[in-house]
Amino acid sequence: MTRDPRALTLRVITCLGGFYFFLYFVTPESLIEQSGVKHAHEAISNGFIAVGSMAIGLGIINILMSHGMRVVFVKKGWQYSVALIVGMFLMIGVTIAQWRTTHGLSDDIKKVQVIGDFAGRIVEDAKAEPGKHRSYAPHGTLPPLRDRVAALEQYAQATLDGNAHSEVAAAGAETDQSLEQLRSEYAQGVTALRQVLEQLQGRSWESLDTDGEAVLTSILQQAARVGSTYAIVKRNESSSWLSSRLYDFLYNGLFNHLGASMFALLGVYIAAAAYRAFRIQSVESALMMTAALIVMLGQISFGKMLYSEMPAIRQWLLEVPNSAAFRAIRLGAGVAGLMLAIRMWLSIESAKRGGKES
Amino acid sequence: MNGLEHATPTVIVLLVVALGLLYREFIRIQRGFHHTIRRIPGVDAIEGAVGRCAEQGRAVSFTTALTDVGPVLYACLGVLQSVAKKVAQYKLKLLVPQYSPEAMAVVEDSVREAYSDAGKASLYDPESIMFLSSEQFAFASGYMGLMHREKPGAALLFGSFAAESLVLSEAGQQVGARQVAASVSPEQVAFFICTCDYTLIGEELFGASAYLGRDPVQVATVAAQDRFKLLLVLLIVIGVVSATFVSLVPSMAWFRPLDLLSVGWEALVP
Repeated sequence: MTRDPRALTLRVITCLGGFYFFLYFVTPESLIEQSGVKHAHEAISNGFIAVGSMAIGLGIINILMSHGMRVVFVKKGWQYSVALIVGMFLMIGVTIAQWRTTHGLSDDIKKVQVIGDFAGRIVEDAKAEPGKHRSYAPHGTLPPLRDRVAALEQYAQATLDGNAHSEVAAAGAETDQSLEQLRSEYAQGVTALRQVLEQLQGRSWESLDTDGEAVLTSILQQAARVGSTYAIVKRNESSSWLSSRLYDFLYNGLFNHLGASMFALLGVYIAAAAYRAFRIQSVESALMMTAALIVMLGQISFGKMLYSEMPAIRQWLLEVPNSAAFRAIRLGAGVAGLMLAIRMWLSIESAKRGGKES
Repeated sequence: MNGLEHATPTVIVLLVVALGLLYREFIRIQRGFHHTIRRIPGVDAIEGAVGRCAEQGRAVSFTTALTDVGPVLYACLGVLQSVAKKVAQYKLKLLVPQYSPEAMAVVEDSVREAYSDAGKASLYDPESIMFLSSEQFAFASGYMGLMHREKPGAALLFGSFAAESLVLSEAGQQVGARQVAASVSPEQVAFFICTCDYTLIGEELFGASAYLGRDPVQVATVAAQDRFKLLLVLLIVIGVVSATFVSLVPSMAWFRPLDLLSVGWEALVP
């Protein structure tokens, strides 16, 4: 046993965590499903992801510490550190602003989509066998159909009368014709949806008959149409907002393109590396050169012109010796990884590597 | 075992065998048995590269690139600790650029421990472990910049790599660093062979840690993995021979001994 309580705690947690995942792995899937552990497992796995994501804070702290020190003590290259820190905070700020706007937007879009989902669920539950409905019922039984339809109507009217939807419908003439057309489509859709909602009134709704089902299905379809048009209108509108434009400029315009530029460097580097590798200095490099030449010639029509079997030889090289080597490397690394994983799980360390065995 | 969410009975048997082999090797070590690991030129080159840095007064760079917390990182840490001890003894500058913030915390701890083991705890510089970015090509460009600014004499690239491998190793080439790479990603091995002085392929990365540290527990793990690999090779040979035999003698089509390995739970659990 180790005497260091911190190390002991870490070992116990590692061992228990490993044991849980080991048990989950070796238990047959049918048994897992029968016992109902699957849902709990998803929650536990998400918990691990959440713990892992906390580590991003460590990265930010490290950047602030190392580059902050460089700026404070005006070390060599401090200007780059300033650019990095400013860039980081700018990106964080813009991303938060963008997230807030898209989050609000998604909520608005979801509200309209719920109208259709609710109508669809009412039909589904009414047609289901008793006790087999999909909707959640706290006491096992769902409210009567009449109450559910009334709730649907009330929710739909309140949503369509809400600020966000009124704004879209009442917006004035736009310079962007496509946006204007979308708005007009949205207004027409809302009018049609209101008309269908009116049909909910004046019915008994004691049970679901064919006409009632047709009305609810029509609400489902109309709400889906309105929801998708609303989503397009709002997304088009939001693209002109400052936060979206800044995010678009920084992320899509700058960051992605810089990444693509780095990737493009690979083309140059592959040529430089190939030049070095193709200098025949030994038997191995001669073999490598020959294999590369065959693969390259087999890839192009010129190779086929030289020798008609060239593509077949290329294919054989890739599928047989190359695949065999890949599999051998993967097998070796996989077995080594497995053994090391077992050692990590059981915290088997010698005293000189942090084991502090007593 | 990609995509295998639950073990089949065969996998469980193989896991038990793996555990048994590990246990056997640890027991043998406790009884004083010593294994030897064959020389790997690439691993010897690590010590040579660090020594060269000491002669030239240049920094040593060690990156675990895209490696996340897991067995590969753990294997890299063994090498890193050994390198960090040498760096501490020679009073050199160590650069450990990081991609994953989670791995960075573990790496930081390991390097600090190595300095302390070398009796040079006061020389440990927390700034030597620097987080660059957790975006692949942003990390690659940060690494390139670091190489060109610091011009290290040795660049050690250990761990998991993807498309950025060539960018990293070319950056080391450009500044004239002696480079040793070790990757478990077979696709990147070819790039490293072209650009680095020495390349450790696949499991050699795991062996390097044991070879450098001469740690009995690590050596025992390598011995157990070799025996387990031998067992898998034996199974492959049985499969090849039986398949060849069946193709030559079609009347013996029932002779498929390795079919037993693919038996699922449904055959055992009613």
